[in-house]
Amino acid sequence: MPVIHVFVKQVPDISTLEYDPSTLAPRLEKATLRLGEADLVALEAALRIKEGWGGEVVVLSAGDAVNELVLREALAMGADRCFYVSDPRLSMADAWVTANVLSRLSKKAGGADILFCGEASSDAGNYQLGPRLSEAMGIPCITHAVSVELSGNIVRVRRSLEDRTETLESELPLIITASLELASPRLPSLLMIRAASKKPITRVDLSELGLERDLVEPLVERLSVRALKTARRNIVLEGDPLECAERLVESLVREGVLRV
Amino acid sequence: MISVLILAGELDELLEMRAVADQIGASVVEALIPEAVIDGESLASLGLKRAYLLEGFDEIPPEGLEKIVIDLVRNSEPGLVIGPSKKIYRELFARTAQNLSSPCLTDCTNLEFNDGRLVVERPFLGGGYVERVAIKKFPALLTIQLTGRRPQAREGGSFETVRVSRPSIENLRLRRVSVEKIERKGADLSKARVVVSVGRGFKRREDLKMAEDLAQLLGAELACSRPIASDLGWMPEEKHVGLSGKWISPQLYIAIGISGQVQHMVGVRNSRIIVAVNNDTSAPIHREADYSVPIDLYQFIPALIKVLKEKGARAA
Ligand SMILES: Cc1cc2nc3c(=O)[nH]c(=O)nc-3n(C[C@H](O)[C@H](O)[C@H](O)COP(=O)(O)OP(=O)(O)OC[C@H]3O[C@@H](n4cnc5c(N)ncnc54)[C@H](O)[C@@H]3O)c2cc1C
Ligand SMILES: Nc1ncnc2c1ncn2[C@@H]1O[C@H](COP(=O)(O)O)[C@@H](O)[C@H]1O
Repeated sequence: MPVIHVFVKQVPDISTLEYDPSTLAPRLEKATLRLGEADLVALEAALRIKEGWGGEVVVLSAGDAVNELVLREALAMGADRCFYVSDPRLSMADAWVTANVLSRLSKKAGGADILFCGEASSDAGNYQLGPRLSEAMGIPCITHAVSVELSGNIVRVRRSLEDRTETLESELPLIITASLELASPRLPSLLMIRAASKKPITRVDLSELGLERDLVEPLVERLSVRALKTARRNIVLEGDPLECAERLVESLVREGVLRV
Repeated sequence: MISVLILAGELDELLEMRAVADQIGASVVEALIPEAVIDGESLASLGLKRAYLLEGFDEIPPEGLEKIVIDLVRNSEPGLVIGPSKKIYRELFARTAQNLSSPCLTDCTNLEFNDGRLVVERPFLGGGYVERVAIKKFPALLTIQLTGRRPQAREGGSFETVRVSRPSIENLRLRRVSVEKIERKGADLSKARVVVSVGRGFKRREDLKMAEDLAQLLGAELACSRPIASDLGWMPEEKHVGLSGKWISPQLYIAIGISGQVQHMVGVRNSRIIVAVNNDTSAPIHREADYSVPIDLYQFIPALIKVLKEKGARAA
């Protein structure tokens, strides 16, 4: 029965995130926290494999201030256990540091047959963890999965690229990154939410992972984050469709983008 | 001064990567490109020191390409390796970077030297924000968001060509069972002056015919939101615009039945004029439109087609 590790990242909820109008910096300290969209898709795919084949789904996370309540959402969806690292030194973590920490955390948690992550995190959108883990752990990786089928020791994955779709096969162990289209994450029932409060969450100290210094030294440095503002005219055309269509065409001709 | 190794699969991509190298004043520029895709004449005017030609680019798995890139990096020691922001390159660059203990940044929109440091801009938090990131270690591997940059004009010159043989990969652990190519339709979205774009407000695939008719009348290209391509499969994936798709900047962008989430808008923000047809007045797209039409698309699009036909209006 497969042991499945799913990497989930705590991120600000973008739909309610606000920014400071004078500095254009996001108000991250006020943000609602959630798990990344693609991460939840990865978790859903893992849970479906468990439902078909048994085994165990373990979620893993790392961050500078991880909130256990956010991780409980993954347990409420049906994950069995959780391991996480939370350390202020990770506030500057880049894709390199994150991959080094999480590969060690996965080993510490006992290793896995299938390792799932999202294709991209919702905040940084690096598209890197899966391929980097593949190198760090010596396990093959299939990115951008849109379907995953397990039979025995073989996994068959369909992935979609810009100009083609491919079907690939691999033996276990395998790392898979989930495209948003792989599955629709389930909403946990009240019962599941209650059950989640009893599931084990293990906090692992960064120092317990035995990472050499250069493995936790970021290779890039974030200088600033600012909101993109665009000024648009916001002219509203309401009422009779035909009249509005006429007014729109006239305006677009005046703007010089259409000609009659 | 920094030397650059470019990876590109098509001429347009190569031109754009060359433009990025120009922008940061690269000293030496080399390129790894598929054999027989790009003609010698185009290559000669790019001021390359060396072109590495590779046969069967598409068929080589990331682990194989990784071997080639690592060899090239070891031999010519570029400061930067750059390639287009497409899935294959992001994956290749991330794994190569891990192997080389190097940084990798994806979807970069701007590169510049600032006080001697290379600073990169890239989308953050879904694309509603930009982060500025300084690179602390070289070589760095960067994928560049394609936005239609063009290199400076140059005289044709000579350059060296080197054939790179396909790597032999022992015990390859991934088997490719099948491949379906997606047929290319229409012109390149990034060059279109007018783009008509469809979203989940369309209830049936057949209804896209309306948008096609509109696009044809206007001499426009058809694009879509991500779910229309990836979830529903109603349009090819290369037609979806936004954070994970194409970034376009037409004179006129007409969004029909699209809600306008940040991940979509980041790809069309540089359009000159945005028209939004969406019957939900609270949809975010209305805040980012020049002309907002809060009317049912099933009523408005036929009316618009009728008016355009009557007036004989088309793209200027
Ligand atoms: C990491 C990540 C990357 C992403 N990348 C992209 C990307 O590159 N591109 C992209 O597009 N999305 C992307 N998304 C998805 C994005 O967040 C939205 O989910 C998506 O853009 C929504 O598509 P839509 O507007 O077609 O559908 P919906 O959000 O469902 O909107 C449909 C709209 O149609 C309107 N409508 C319904 N009926 C009618 C009618 N009869 N007449 C008029 N209007 C009607 C509705 O009011 C609604 O606003 C990404 C998401 C994530 C998490
Ligand atoms: N700090 C983290 N903790 C746990 N999982 C992560 C973390 N960062 C990234 N991931 C996972 O890796 C995926 C890709 O992230 P990224 O490489 O940052 O785009 C995400 O969708 C998550 O599944």
